[in-house]
Amino acid sequence: MNGQKLLAALAGIALALSIGALVLLIEGRSPLDVYAALVALSIGDVDKAAITIKNAVPLILTGLSASLAFASGPINLGQPGQFLMGALAVTLVGITVDLPAPLMIPLLMIAAAAGGALWAGAAAVLRHVFNMSEFIVTLMLNSIADLFTAWLITIGGPLAEAGALSPRSPAITSSGRLGEIGVFNLSILVMALVAVAIWYVFHRTRPGYEWRIAGQNALFARLGGCPVDRNFFIVMLLSGALAGLAGGLLVMSGPYRFIRGIGANYAWDGVMIAVVANSALGATVLYGLFFAALQTGALGMELLTAVPSEFIQVLQAVIVLVSVASRGYLSVLLDRLTLRRLSRPSPNRT
Amino acid sequence: MRIVIGLLNGMLAGATPVLLAALGGAFTFYAGVFNIAMEGMLLAGAFCAALGSFFSGSWVIGVLCAIAGALSLSVLFILFAIVLKTDEFVTGIALNLFAAGATTYLLRQLFGVRGAFTDPAIQPMPRLEIPLLAQIPLAGEVLSGQNVMVYGAALAVLVCAWLIFRTPFGLRLRAAGYNAASLESSGVRPARVRIAALLICGVLCGLGGAFLSLGYVRLFAEGMSAGRGWIALAAVILVNGNPWGVALITLVFGLADGLGLLAQGLNVPAQFTGMAPYLATLIALFVYARRKSRARSGSSIQA
Repeated sequence: MNGQKLLAALAGIALALSIGALVLLIEGRSPLDVYAALVALSIGDVDKAAITIKNAVPLILTGLSASLAFASGPINLGQPGQFLMGALAVTLVGITVDLPAPLMIPLLMIAAAAGGALWAGAAAVLRHVFNMSEFIVTLMLNSIADLFTAWLITIGGPLAEAGALSPRSPAITSSGRLGEIGVFNLSILVMALVAVAIWYVFHRTRPGYEWRIAGQNALFARLGGCPVDRNFFIVMLLSGALAGLAGGLLVMSGPYRFIRGIGANYAWDGVMIAVVANSALGATVLYGLFFAALQTGALGMELLTAVPSEFIQVLQAVIVLVSVASRGYLSVLLDRLTLRRLSRPSPNRT
Repeated sequence: MRIVIGLLNGMLAGATPVLLAALGGAFTFYAGVFNIAMEGMLLAGAFCAALGSFFSGSWVIGVLCAIAGALSLSVLFILFAIVLKTDEFVTGIALNLFAAGATTYLLRQLFGVRGAFTDPAIQPMPRLEIPLLAQIPLAGEVLSGQNVMVYGAALAVLVCAWLIFRTPFGLRLRAAGYNAASLESSGVRPARVRIAALLICGVLCGLGGAFLSLGYVRLFAEGMSAGRGWIALAAVILVNGNPWGVALITLVFGLADGLGLLAQGLNVPAQFTGMAPYLATLIALFVYARRKSRARSGSSIQA
């Protein structure tokens, strides 16, 4: 992130927070109290920060899924569906297989990635064989995954826990659960390793270079001899695997089972984060942490200040709009200033 | 016969909101705006319709509020995408998020509820009995007695087709998307045409949203647009924006909806019948892609 981008990002966030403050003022609340509560309850102490970072895991992974796809060409908007299929795969394996933890946890992670990759792969196959736009196909597959998983765990459904009063699956085996090291959940470690690996592949290897070129100019990549079709496939699978892993880790570190609405909070957050981060992997991680802090602080904020936690959803959308607009506008503004400076007659020349 | 009439009624009810949103999308499609905010506009319309109808006790006010709500998103789209030149895809995504967040927040702030709001004070839109058509046996049961907005949508198809193909505005609209530079050289600003298209899209999505919350139900639920804006977008892309094509294809989607309702009566789980419109969209995409690839291979043989 160079200086200008950082400036634009900070200006955007500051502007969005001021708009949020204005809304709060109109409603007769104190913006300072609300924002202070948000900060205190998300990163106020180590315990709260640990929860914030744990909550950032699905946001960052779905964000990386979207960023990787957008930066390489495929428009994968299917994170919600791939997330659910990853969570479903972990649940299915977790209730049928029982191995010691050192085997079980990697197995479940592979299952999660495979579940997400399968759902994204379906869209990739439809695109490759029948030339159907992955943009709409992934969106439609989201709704289908949502309804399908809802049916599985509905009371009396094939995957429902016997005797449960709410729609949910049985719990996964205890050896497949991710515990805490100190205050930090193990899923954070997994996410960090995956993020570094993806960054490395994308920025330091030959396939990653080909993906980036294809994302910037598909024709150039094709003419330069990159296997564009194969890369499209690989990126879709990888992107789906990341979203699936997000769903899987959530099951393994949280409710330990598939519950109704498990993906609801993360439905569009991945795409949202990729969009504000302009599909840059490093920025995706930072924004993921930032949005997780907002969401984690929101619940406490509601208790302390009686501002509904839904306020954060509005704030998030405002941040996206304003920071993206200010990024574009700032560069136009800076170009204009540079032009003016250059066009001014220089005193040395006569 | 009962079944067929039920199916046709379900088809019209399912098609109406998608048709209205897709007609709006047709205007922006012709104007060359990549507008994916129909989903958010429908949602804003549905919320504002319930809001207006609840506080005023009149469905007409509700519909006007729905239009105002969806238009406010259009204005934001114009501000960001056209004035500030933000990427259209990004603007659309952000506006959809904004609509989802804002309606959830306001639901909580104004009515103090989560999930869904329903109240007897919400006045739904009436059904319209057409005097002569109602007397036709069987067909009368479908042609007459539909919701006002169903007739509104049918009328909208005619008006949109006329506007797009038979008026100077329509010519400029199509030119803005087809070749903006030549439109500009003839003295018309493409940006103005795009602004007009987005405003029209807002009005139509507002009407579609109003049908969602005041049509056959009288409630607003979080995320009640449920992907209809995306299906509308698919419909627009499939028929290249042609309003007659949009009408036809949304009726097909509506038929899938109706078949879903029918299957629900046969004890098929609601989750599977709910998939019908999304599967129909996938199938339509498939047929479209096949046709296009055949056309392409045909032309390459000629060349």
